[in-house]
Amino acid sequence: MSEITSSVLIRPAGAGRWFAVLGNLTHRLGLSAVGLILPLAVLGLWQYAVNHEWVAIQLLPPPELVWQSLRELWDAGDLTRNLAVSLTRIGWSVLIGSSIGWLLGFLMGLSRTARDFLYPSFEVFTQFPVVGWIPILIIFLGIDEGLKIAAISIAVVVPVTVATFKGIVNIPSALLEVAKVYRFSHSQVLLRVVLPAALPALFSGFRQGIMQAWLALVFVELLASSEGIGYLMVWGRQLMQLDLVFVGLLVIGLVGVALDVSLRYLESRLQSWRHAAH
Amino acid sequence: MAHAATLEIKNLNKQYQVGDKSLPVLEDISLSIKPGEFVSIVGSSGCGKSTLLKLLIGLEDQYQGDILLDGKRIVGTSLERGIVFQEHRLFPWLTVEQNISIGLLNNTELSAEEKTNSIQEHIELVGLKDFANAYPYQLSGGMSQRVAIARALVNRPEVLLLDEPFGALDAFTRAYLQQELQRIWEKEGITMILVTHDVEEAVYLGDRVVVMQPRPGRIKRVIDVNLPRERTRSSAKFTAIKEEVLREFADTPDTVEELTTQTTVNEAPKNSFLTADALCY
Repeated sequence: MSEITSSVLIRPAGAGRWFAVLGNLTHRLGLSAVGLILPLAVLGLWQYAVNHEWVAIQLLPPPELVWQSLRELWDAGDLTRNLAVSLTRIGWSVLIGSSIGWLLGFLMGLSRTARDFLYPSFEVFTQFPVVGWIPILIIFLGIDEGLKIAAISIAVVVPVTVATFKGIVNIPSALLEVAKVYRFSHSQVLLRVVLPAALPALFSGFRQGIMQAWLALVFVELLASSEGIGYLMVWGRQLMQLDLVFVGLLVIGLVGVALDVSLRYLESRLQSWRHAAH
Repeated sequence: MAHAATLEIKNLNKQYQVGDKSLPVLEDISLSIKPGEFVSIVGSSGCGKSTLLKLLIGLEDQYQGDILLDGKRIVGTSLERGIVFQEHRLFPWLTVEQNISIGLLNNTELSAEEKTNSIQEHIELVGLKDFANAYPYQLSGGMSQRVAIARALVNRPEVLLLDEPFGALDAFTRAYLQQELQRIWEKEGITMILVTHDVEEAVYLGDRVVVMQPRPGRIKRVIDVNLPRERTRSSAKFTAIKEEVLREFADTPDTVEELTTQTTVNEAPKNSFLTADALCY
């Protein structure tokens, strides 16, 4: 990977400079520059298809138009406003969903009784896709903000609960015996053994939860909304302004990656002791 | 604490419940251990020697008979009794120093200052002064086991139990740590009980060697090791005692092979301290 980036960095001119900047960026994100080849090829193919009018321009807007729309939406504040709406929904849903997920995961992980009571129901619950909940939720919550947050929260609960539960159950009993030998109280076991030992699993569950929330968000906004990134896409489709749909896709992808990368960064900072990979 | 205690095991019996059948693991174990004595317990797998240690440390509490420490029946775990397991069992998210301090977490006898001093003292005792802030993943197997020993000793327990503590280490490190353990035992003057299936280790360290036989676990014989320390493994007297211990297994033919192979195995000494050098950046 460094071979490619460095050879590019030597001649920072024209398109090469862009590539170098991108290469440098992906390098910092811990990705390999070769990973850029495919998206760039797709971009090239897209431009080529537009130039040769393979598809009607109304159906496949040229990349410049998408870029232009992106900048216009950004300048007009539409993009930030809709993104803010979507991120607020994500924020609430992740807060509610992961709180419930952690609670359920901890309960089932720590208490045999709770596990016997809850696990069978939970297993059935995980089988329903989020889409399946929406008709029922509409009846009770209407189609306002409550519906969206509830539906996205459900998508978050499942991965968070599963990861938390598994993380706690998989704590080596050898370490719990050590805690017993040194006469740890219940709260000491929880804070000094269970929590740190399950932290990697907690984090990966949280990350999965956010990713699921992001997927559910777009779906919910496509369904019933008057603002948000998903709504922007629906609106674009209805107006046959497919450049808006592409802008939406681009923003969703980029924000998703940004969220994942920043969470992974936070995770590695919090767990400097986990270098056991070698 | 800080003084050595008399440990008395009287008519100890222990069964495991397998389905609706009761499977005896320990049968009529009686053993009296003097303050400051070093007792080695040898036996093949399945003779219940690890179960015996679990009872002595208090991780298991279902048994018949008596386990008395200075005449008092033991109840559950206690900071008066320390243990070193075969695996180091350090908390991977804590540094060497923090792992050792775990031992003192619930010690109410020492002030904060005394605790800090005790931790430093024990880091030095096991020779890990330069690694106080290292994480377990940065340590070799032998170093990790030394941290585990320091963690077990930091409370100044009256009895230290060792459950095959060097079993997973290479021959070179094992020999070195046996010597270290002897030095620590002499310095601290506490009672130590070592469970091992390495006969040479048992004879090298023990004042007495307790030979156990399996199914159910019983004491077969107790052999005194009347040799001055530091003992020479190649001396005629040492070898004679080792042979005597090994002879005890002759009656139980299914175990003798396992024991001899384990004690005569001669691994190429692998320098496990290389990992320590790699750390000194």
